[in-house]
Amino acid sequence: MDIYDILKEKGISVGDKIRIDSIEGILMPKTEFVESDVIVVKMSNGYNIGIKFKEDTKIELIEKKKEQAPKKSAPKEFDPNKPTISILACGGTIASRVEYKTGAVFPSFSPEELIEAFPEIGDIANIKARKLFDLFSEDMQPEHWKIIAQEVDKEIESGVDGIVLMHGTDTMHYTSGALSFMLQDLPVPVVLVGAQRSSDRGSSDNRINLVSAVLFAAKGDIAEVVVCMHENSNDDYCSIHRGTKVRKMHTSRRDAFKSINASPLARVNYLGKKIEYLTTNFRKRDKSRKLKLDTNINPNVGIFYFHPGSKPEFLREMGKFYEGIVIAATGLGHIGINPGNDKLAKSFLPVVKELIEKGIPIVFAPQTIFGRLNMNVYSTGRILEKVGVIGNLCDWTIETALVKLMFVLGHTKDLNEIRRMMLTNIAGEISERSEYEL
Amino acid sequence: MNYKELGLKVGLEIHFQLEVDRKLFCNCSSAMKEKEPIGIVKRRLHPVASELGEIDVAAQFEYLRNRTFFYEIFKNESCLVEVDEEPPHDTNEEALRVALQIAKLFNCKIPQYIFVMRKTVIDGSNTSGFQRTMIVGFDGYFEFKGRKIPITQICLEEDAAAIDKEDDGNVYYKLNRLGIPLIEIDTGVIEDIEPKEVEEIAYQIFLIASSTRKIRRYIGAIRQDVNVSIKGGERVEIKGVQKLSLISKVIEKEVKRQLELIKKGEKPQKETRVAKEDGSTEFIRPLPGAERMYPETDVKPIKTEDVLKNLEIPEPLNKRIERYEKEYNLSKSLIESLLKTDYFFFFEELVKAFPKIEPSIIANILSATLREIERKEKVEVKLSEESLFEFFDALNKGFVFKEAAYDILKKMNEGKGVEEAVKELGLTPLTEEEILKIIEETKKEITDKKKLIGIVLSKVRGRANISKVIEIIESLS
Repeated sequence: MDIYDILKEKGISVGDKIRIDSIEGILMPKTEFVESDVIVVKMSNGYNIGIKFKEDTKIELIEKKKEQAPKKSAPKEFDPNKPTISILACGGTIASRVEYKTGAVFPSFSPEELIEAFPEIGDIANIKARKLFDLFSEDMQPEHWKIIAQEVDKEIESGVDGIVLMHGTDTMHYTSGALSFMLQDLPVPVVLVGAQRSSDRGSSDNRINLVSAVLFAAKGDIAEVVVCMHENSNDDYCSIHRGTKVRKMHTSRRDAFKSINASPLARVNYLGKKIEYLTTNFRKRDKSRKLKLDTNINPNVGIFYFHPGSKPEFLREMGKFYEGIVIAATGLGHIGINPGNDKLAKSFLPVVKELIEKGIPIVFAPQTIFGRLNMNVYSTGRILEKVGVIGNLCDWTIETALVKLMFVLGHTKDLNEIRRMMLTNIAGEISERSEYEL
Repeated sequence: MNYKELGLKVGLEIHFQLEVDRKLFCNCSSAMKEKEPIGIVKRRLHPVASELGEIDVAAQFEYLRNRTFFYEIFKNESCLVEVDEEPPHDTNEEALRVALQIAKLFNCKIPQYIFVMRKTVIDGSNTSGFQRTMIVGFDGYFEFKGRKIPITQICLEEDAAAIDKEDDGNVYYKLNRLGIPLIEIDTGVIEDIEPKEVEEIAYQIFLIASSTRKIRRYIGAIRQDVNVSIKGGERVEIKGVQKLSLISKVIEKEVKRQLELIKKGEKPQKETRVAKEDGSTEFIRPLPGAERMYPETDVKPIKTEDVLKNLEIPEPLNKRIERYEKEYNLSKSLIESLLKTDYFFFFEELVKAFPKIEPSIIANILSATLREIERKEKVEVKLSEESLFEFFDALNKGFVFKEAAYDILKKMNEGKGVEEAVKELGLTPLTEEEILKIIEETKKEITDKKKLIGIVLSKVRGRANISKVIEIIESLS
């Protein structure tokens, strides 16, 4: 039996002051890092230690935890001279409070809490805020994207000047890509924002990211789905990335998000509260424009990462689970087709043909991440394109290819139509030019 | 001043850097050798709301100063962990072992599981906004003049970044010091004490911790914080006392400052002050609030049982000092000067290896002679233990003589071996025949025996055993 259950039977719960043998302290929540018979207490000096519970361990309750209601701050008055934005929380802990007594972290979602934590956002705009869901980024599903898109639509209907979506960072670029296809003809900016450092610490990037995102949602001129995150390791600028071109490129750095094969659209000067545009190639804000919400997507799309040793049979097996497959291809757009009949090499050509004949589209994206596919250069590419592989001359990321294929499959099953839609630029996912200076 | 009547209460927090190669939570070098930064990042820190929607006084105060922090990055000595761009790695095992040795030396209780904590620090000296710290021992003590000085806690933590320069709200920190394993030893409240005795207590703590041979000793590697209060006053924390010898002065001046305030009818405030080089202090911020610690969830807790299993506890240095006094007949002052060298522990290895040499001669050469070379030649003596072993081996075998120690060690410090040094200095030992010849020649000019001995000795200096030469002269007359 778990020691915390035994304590519960004794009427002792987390936050209570207890004495274990000679040690006094406050009972802390249990942690997955230690065995289940270890009691964690915070001593009066603030340090946590773990004590192994044995049969002769004496535990007594000294004092029950005093419940203290969190201070409620007054709602901020509506200012008709300021733009109004909506903050929708989808997960991540971009805003939270630490309970120092137990170390627990509580996410904050209400406008009052947000303004209290980040007073600057209240100076920029009137803030509406609510929670959609409280999800780890990795738990986000295509069905969640639909809900987000519908809620954004509602907020825009209500007349706000911009939307900020707080989101966990790991899959933020999938969500931004998917929303870019589902929210067409946007009248105002939709800005996704997250934090790479947890919000409990003074060094968190949450403040600069969120304040910049709010500023851009309220005043930015780009009516597209964008991601707002640190430009580099310094705490002064945030980049505004196009939702279909952005990718998380680092496990931990603040500037993990980079525009791939494209320049960021703009940058926000946090201290100066100024927006600098880096291109003119974007859809301009126009509140009179009518948003076209299109949440028809088919989530049955999978990614196959080709590598030396990968098995054609596995790709064939994927065809049983997915209605469309993105292949992370090598170089300019290649997977092994063994034209010279080498004894050791394997050919994927029969499987690819077979899947396409079954009506399962095969879409290529570069595993090099940077650069454009060109399947005209080598015979392997030419042969693959000839059998119907989609993606020649595209410079999309693997993730954008995935969400686009989901979107396209939500509209048609016809392979010709799929090909046409995939190769048509819908939300800036394919750059027209490959710029040298990137 | 009668400090006992004034109700002087003192508490010490002593910090030592550990002499280990790597930092506490990453594999960066802890050498601090690099001079030029390879990059700078610019950061800001923000107060973090607690569960009650309050921000503690100290944090807010720092926030209001509205500073921008610039962190200088040094090759090999700072990585993404110090730049706060990567989570910490596992705790440095060597540092943990030394910390537990120290906790044992101070008779502390050791937690069964150690949890790394985040202590909120918002002055910018930690890129993360907190210092990672863990308690390795508590409820300990050590003996001092027949009383038990309480050691409330011993912590292993990350050293903070050192301030490089500050101007107009821009503060520059060097990241090479950030993350170096640091030991903090806290005494309980010490009452009924004189300022000078507090200094002795600090020295004892340093000695006991040094038993591990893993304590860095240069200025800046050891830092003391002193808590001082008197009746009618308040607890004042004085940070950054860089020298042990400043402690009594700092306490005396703080008592005087509080007394003057009380005399003026003012109540001293609870505050943090910083020590200046002359022992006076200046205000830096109000005392930080208490609840500033929460778990560092990025680092796994440590089960101490596994580490303690094979942990050797070194002989406490204060015990070793007593032993040196008794077993080797070293005087207190000789031990003092030996302690200031890097060879205090090595001394005993030499004594055991070369029983023919008087221990006091070994101690003298290791301390006085080497220091004299440094002073007179204006060089840094960097003799390895191997070279010193070679020298004492030669001394033991009668190949060199103690009178020549200065000259030979000076040569050896320049990179020469013993034989080479002896050759270059013309100090090859004299044979008995050669000695006899010198005596006979000198005798022709001088008849007075006392004078004769003096002159002969100066002629053979460093090339013969003096008592043996005297013996020969005596036997001839």
